[in-house]
Amino acid sequence: MVIQGLETIDYEKRAKDSDYKKRLNKVMTEKEAVGTFLHDGNSFCMGGFVMWRQPQSIMREIARQGKKNLSIIDESGDFEGIDLLVELGMLDRIDIAYSLTRQVGGISGTPALERGLKEGIPRPVEAGGVMATPKEKIESGVPPVKIVDWTNFEISLRLMAGALNVPFMPCRSSLGADIPKYTKDIKVIDDPYENKPLLLVPAYKPDVAFISVQRADRRGNGQIWGFRGTDYWKARAAKHVVLITEELVPTEKIYENPGLTTIPAYCTDAVVHLPFNCLPTGCYGYYIGDLLCFVSLLLQRQSRDGALEWIDEWVYGLKDHFEYCNKLGWEKIDRLAKSEHKLNRIPG
Amino acid sequence: MGHLYTTREQFTPEQLKEMKGKYTPPELVCCAGSREVEDREVVFVGIGISDLAGAIAKLVHTPNAILVAEAGYIGFPSVAVLVSPADNSAGAMAMCHQSLPEVFIDQQSGFIDAAYLGFAQMDKYGNVNVSYITGPQIRMNGSGGGGDIASSAGRVVYTAEFNPRQWVEKVDYMTETGFADGSPDARKKANLVGGGPSSVVTDRGVFRFDPGTHELFLAEVFPWQDEEDIEDVKKGIPWDLKVADELKVLEPPTERELWALRLMDPTGQYTIANIMDRPLGKIIMEGKFNLEGYNTFLELSDRAIREVLDFVT
Repeated sequence: MVIQGLETIDYEKRAKDSDYKKRLNKVMTEKEAVGTFLHDGNSFCMGGFVMWRQPQSIMREIARQGKKNLSIIDESGDFEGIDLLVELGMLDRIDIAYSLTRQVGGISGTPALERGLKEGIPRPVEAGGVMATPKEKIESGVPPVKIVDWTNFEISLRLMAGALNVPFMPCRSSLGADIPKYTKDIKVIDDPYENKPLLLVPAYKPDVAFISVQRADRRGNGQIWGFRGTDYWKARAAKHVVLITEELVPTEKIYENPGLTTIPAYCTDAVVHLPFNCLPTGCYGYYIGDLLCFVSLLLQRQSRDGALEWIDEWVYGLKDHFEYCNKLGWEKIDRLAKSEHKLNRIPG
Repeated sequence: MGHLYTTREQFTPEQLKEMKGKYTPPELVCCAGSREVEDREVVFVGIGISDLAGAIAKLVHTPNAILVAEAGYIGFPSVAVLVSPADNSAGAMAMCHQSLPEVFIDQQSGFIDAAYLGFAQMDKYGNVNVSYITGPQIRMNGSGGGGDIASSAGRVVYTAEFNPRQWVEKVDYMTETGFADGSPDARKKANLVGGGPSSVVTDRGVFRFDPGTHELFLAEVFPWQDEEDIEDVKKGIPWDLKVADELKVLEPPTERELWALRLMDPTGQYTIANIMDRPLGKIIMEGKFNLEGYNTFLELSDRAIREVLDFVT
């Protein structure tokens, strides 16, 4: 297995040297954006929601760049991308509400995570604060991946607290349930006004948020059609925001529908113009998710060997997202776009 | 709208036997489940079977219900079954596109009347586990929005095919609080605002919760479920399941309900029992991951969507 390195650019120094958010032209390549903003040991989050508008090409780029000790936070996340990073041992901690582990027909949606749970390969898994992998399967010196459970709203509220610059947010979810018992970061208090139980979740400020948008201009005004997921809050909670856009448009085009600008330029550090970046997930108004691709890649990734082979073929074997689309086949991509256009089409 | 009941007496034993073989378990769950909401209610739908029940309700029984999908889609006509709450079919002709936290904010402020959810494991007081079975080693999908919905939605309708493995004395991990320990004010004490579980719809009857003891009991059965069948259901549940004194008899799936179901799930992703009989299964078996496979599979969905659009517009 060959891990492709980066060209020798001192991205870290660059990020410190200039304030990206103030730039008037933030356009970068995907490779540059991941290299510039995401470093070993960082935390990050992805935009979108289950199988829609998730910048999956970014996950493959993170894998190509061989980042280490990453943490991810997501509601009902990009399970395929997370599982890819788990397979490569790149994740230290996963804060998540829903992982699509159990699929119809006995195919695992997160085969690498399950291998970690049962066999400690590539890394053992700690779930709910306890080591889930059996002791005899754990190789000494291999640190575990921590998986921490929340509900969807609790994850949203953590990011919301991060964005609001307050240490926590209260809510009424999970009271009386076991999630607060196993997820130690949650506190159940008697609220100071009514003296009744209330659940607190701590703020989360990811180092980087990668968010797919339908349209963006060079300065980083990102417009979203369809559901907005938690992207508004992710863009405000994260230290650095990378927009991956289907269309790069002049700012005049943004003026036409300012109500759709969910992420204004002051949030944004970089804009990556990359059509079809969500594949195999879908993008509202542009293309539907590629269910057949999902099924075939999951079938292949059920075994460790199959997964590594898949990674060699579909991640390391390809230079960038354009090569990915080429390999997938543009006819299929057009077919996916046709199905979406029958239902939803972004005006003008 | 509401419930559809019938009596056993009007059918001959032969008719009952024939009727029993006519429907698949998911069809029974979805159709019976669709009768659990009222017109003009705000209804949260999940994915798969817990979306199909709401979709049938919207198309057949409760045209003025407002369907809500977690990712931020409000008031959609339900064009196709949701595989994900963020599906494009929930966005098409929706009243409102918003965000995930906004949906849960609306729910916590009490706008959601009823919610459809699935479950992996349930105990006698309607507490649900979708996180870990037996220990941390066997991971299920996790809460998703379920933990939030069970906390704050007006009421929760659980939908699932009946499976004895799903019923336990005590859940291994309480992801969603039902009536906790069953004590009369358990939910109030925990400061939960929602009403908790109201029913569990399965292909072996509909279960409800006793208003006093909060214990699950068998309330309604399909016409072909005789005493023997009910005994079998009781055997599948590890505690002494109570059965309603006056057991109601459910009308079998109606033509209209089945029509809606087939339109919603043209590729049988949730309704065809054997995975290899589904169009997607066939494509996988033949290894047709080429353009032809894509055309075959997508054309089915496209065609059904056209028909629904004709109906709702």
